[in-house]
Amino acid sequence: MDGELTEVAEFLAGHAPFRELSRPLLSALIRRSSVRYVRRGTRILSVGESHEVMYVLRSGAVDITDREGGLVERSDPGTSFGMSPLVERAPSRYDFTALEDSLLLVVPEDAFRDLCAQDPTFESFYTSAHAARLRRAVGVLHVAERGSAVLRTTLDDLVRRPPVAVSPTTSVRAAAQLMVRERVSSVLVLDGERLTGIVTDRDLRGRVVAVGRDTEEPVARIMTPHPATARGDELAFEALMEMVDRSIHHLPVLDATGQVIGLVSSTDLMRLEHNNPVYLVADLTAAQDVETLAELATRIPVILEQLVAEDASARDIGRVVTSLGDALERRLLTMAEEELGPPPVPYCWVVLGSQARHEQGLASDQDNALVLSDEARPEHDAYFAALAARVSGGLEACGYPRCPGEVMATNPRWRASRSTWREHFARWVETPEPKAVLNGSIFFDMRPLHGDVRLVEELRDEVLSRTRGADLFLAYLAQHAVARRPPIGFFRGLVLEKEGRHRDTLDLKTGGTAAVVELARVHALLSGLPEVNSQARLDAAVRAGSLSTELGAELQDALEFVAYLRLRHQGRAVRAGRAPDNFVDPADLTDFELRHLRDAFRIVRGAQQALGQRLPLGSLS
Amino acid sequence: MTPLSWRRRAPDVPVRDLELVAVDLETTGLDPSSHEILSIGVVPVRRGVIELGGARQYAVRPSGPTGVGSSATVHGITDDEAAAAAPLAEILPQLLTDLEGRVLLAHHATIETGFLAAACRATSHEVPALTVVDTVRLQRRVLQRGRTRGHVADEELSLAAARRHFGLPRYRSHDALTDALACAELYLAQVAVLAGDHDLTLRALIR
Repeated sequence: MDGELTEVAEFLAGHAPFRELSRPLLSALIRRSSVRYVRRGTRILSVGESHEVMYVLRSGAVDITDREGGLVERSDPGTSFGMSPLVERAPSRYDFTALEDSLLLVVPEDAFRDLCAQDPTFESFYTSAHAARLRRAVGVLHVAERGSAVLRTTLDDLVRRPPVAVSPTTSVRAAAQLMVRERVSSVLVLDGERLTGIVTDRDLRGRVVAVGRDTEEPVARIMTPHPATARGDELAFEALMEMVDRSIHHLPVLDATGQVIGLVSSTDLMRLEHNNPVYLVADLTAAQDVETLAELATRIPVILEQLVAEDASARDIGRVVTSLGDALERRLLTMAEEELGPPPVPYCWVVLGSQARHEQGLASDQDNALVLSDEARPEHDAYFAALAARVSGGLEACGYPRCPGEVMATNPRWRASRSTWREHFARWVETPEPKAVLNGSIFFDMRPLHGDVRLVEELRDEVLSRTRGADLFLAYLAQHAVARRPPIGFFRGLVLEKEGRHRDTLDLKTGGTAAVVELARVHALLSGLPEVNSQARLDAAVRAGSLSTELGAELQDALEFVAYLRLRHQGRAVRAGRAPDNFVDPADLTDFELRHLRDAFRIVRGAQQALGQRLPLGSLS
Repeated sequence: MTPLSWRRRAPDVPVRDLELVAVDLETTGLDPSSHEILSIGVVPVRRGVIELGGARQYAVRPSGPTGVGSSATVHGITDDEAAAAAPLAEILPQLLTDLEGRVLLAHHATIETGFLAAACRATSHEVPALTVVDTVRLQRRVLQRGRTRGHVADEELSLAAARRHFGLPRYRSHDALTDALACAELYLAQVAVLAGDHDLTLRALIR
């Protein structure tokens, strides 16, 4: 008498595809199977190995990773794995590693095949599970799966409850009682739906108790009016930096329509499990001298490398690295102001190029400029020249080389009043010359970093209203964008042949990231879009009808993929003690990556051709 | 009756080469001299792998007049079921064949060895000189590692508690076959931990 292994049968019957099997088929399968136990860390099967069994995880956990080490799936009990060699009759595409001590049910190949033959649904489950895993492997190449929770967390994720709010006429006492009852350290003051202020514990202490104010007075008297707010889709990381920067501890969160959906505190954000970028921003902000900043700046490549290792997307890495650069530069500016005294007239320090676009990588040049109020007189320039010299020198000390084209606020030409800037832009846009447009294009990627932001916002609005319809200017800009040829010819015969790979390197920037950046810029200026980040520009260009939805999405994918490879390449270079560059050896890429790179370059080329047909480039030459 | 050759396994056999049989008995009580076997579960473990195809369960008809008695509350075997089973005399030779040349593996093995010896005497079989690995003793050693006093409480040594310690799936107990499988899985976990990076020999398990 055989007796049924009920516990095993019931376990399998609880999981697909065994759930659908008849009991006799299930019993027969179990009879042909065995049980193994593996210790945590054991490699059960490696990429490239062939084997004649598949596994069902009975207890414990197993990580399935691709050859790049990207996590494809973390198996829970009941998950089948290792079937790809059986389905494809080829060596394993994945590594299987026990994450915990694990009990495995081992199904031999012949039993698996017999069941597939007897039960078509059983077979299709495995072929489709296999296909799904393959799709995930593709997607996972640079999609965060582990570690980078902070980078992916948006404020929406952190808002736990609707806001605790009072009206402006509520008495201070009633507001304080509400705060006690709701156990919160702040209340929002809403006039109807509109956010008009915020009252915190600190306000009650400083503006009520300490000064002996009557608690029957309305909260409107003691609130902080027009508090800083953030949008729900902002990254928690960015919001935290904003808060550190402004020394505030509470941030109301608004939805896309401007409605208040909740409140986050700096404690909420700090509680997020994270190790580096956020603390580095805090350290940068607190640094007292350039030496400290320079020392802290050496952590930026480490963070970048860590983010690459954590499979953060290129877009997120760009945002983080840029935010760190921003924090460092802001601190240099406040240090310079502390030294030089307050500015004689209002000014705005702007960043340009990749930093403006939130796409900074390693070894980015410093690109910056000063927009001064029109009240500025020639005698004021000494102050701003000194400010620019201090900041630029500080940036250089922190590893941001001076711009070879002298696009820096230290250059008197780029330290100008708003009306002078207006003239610069007018000349570029309205009476363009090819070389001037090329040199001026960097100024169309401009972002205010410090000072009076309004100076730049007004300027930008004016510029954008002019670029739309400035055909000749756009044509020059497009001509330049289209001239950045992706190295498609490079791939001829390369993908399958390993020979000769070492001959040449691939330039990931010129025909890759830079080409997409320029395409995105032309499309943004074509439609007068205020976005500066390339991915955001592509989104906006699709919404404005300047790009088809399909091409927009393809360009975004192409940019993300090439930018990711570039960041990974740079991260590896820094780790190996080499200067980061844009030239990757194809031998360092997998066949999979090479294929995708070729596709990405083809997409870029296609988008360039489409743009070339749209703008009258031919007449320019 | 085929004469069975019983020989102790050489103690320096590496554990990874070992062939064992996990055995669990459901009985009418704990005393081999007065109680009877009702059910036998057998699960082979060969070279670190549990072979489910070799799993066997034998129901045994008790010979005495008392039947299953109050033990039914433990294992759920009824008098009718027990009465429908084959007598021990028919089953024992098969069981002894299953055990031949293999190490007996059991959780609290004195029950299994005690009842097995009694069964052999009752049916005029030679009492086999079995090499025995007891998962209770292995569990005590697993738990003593890293404890300064080395004290292990009895309740930590039950089959269910020991499996819980390793994060193994929870099984309903007191079915002979399930318990034998549970014991075999526990053994794999125990030797994995006890071996660490070293090669264990049988000697290390039976000492």
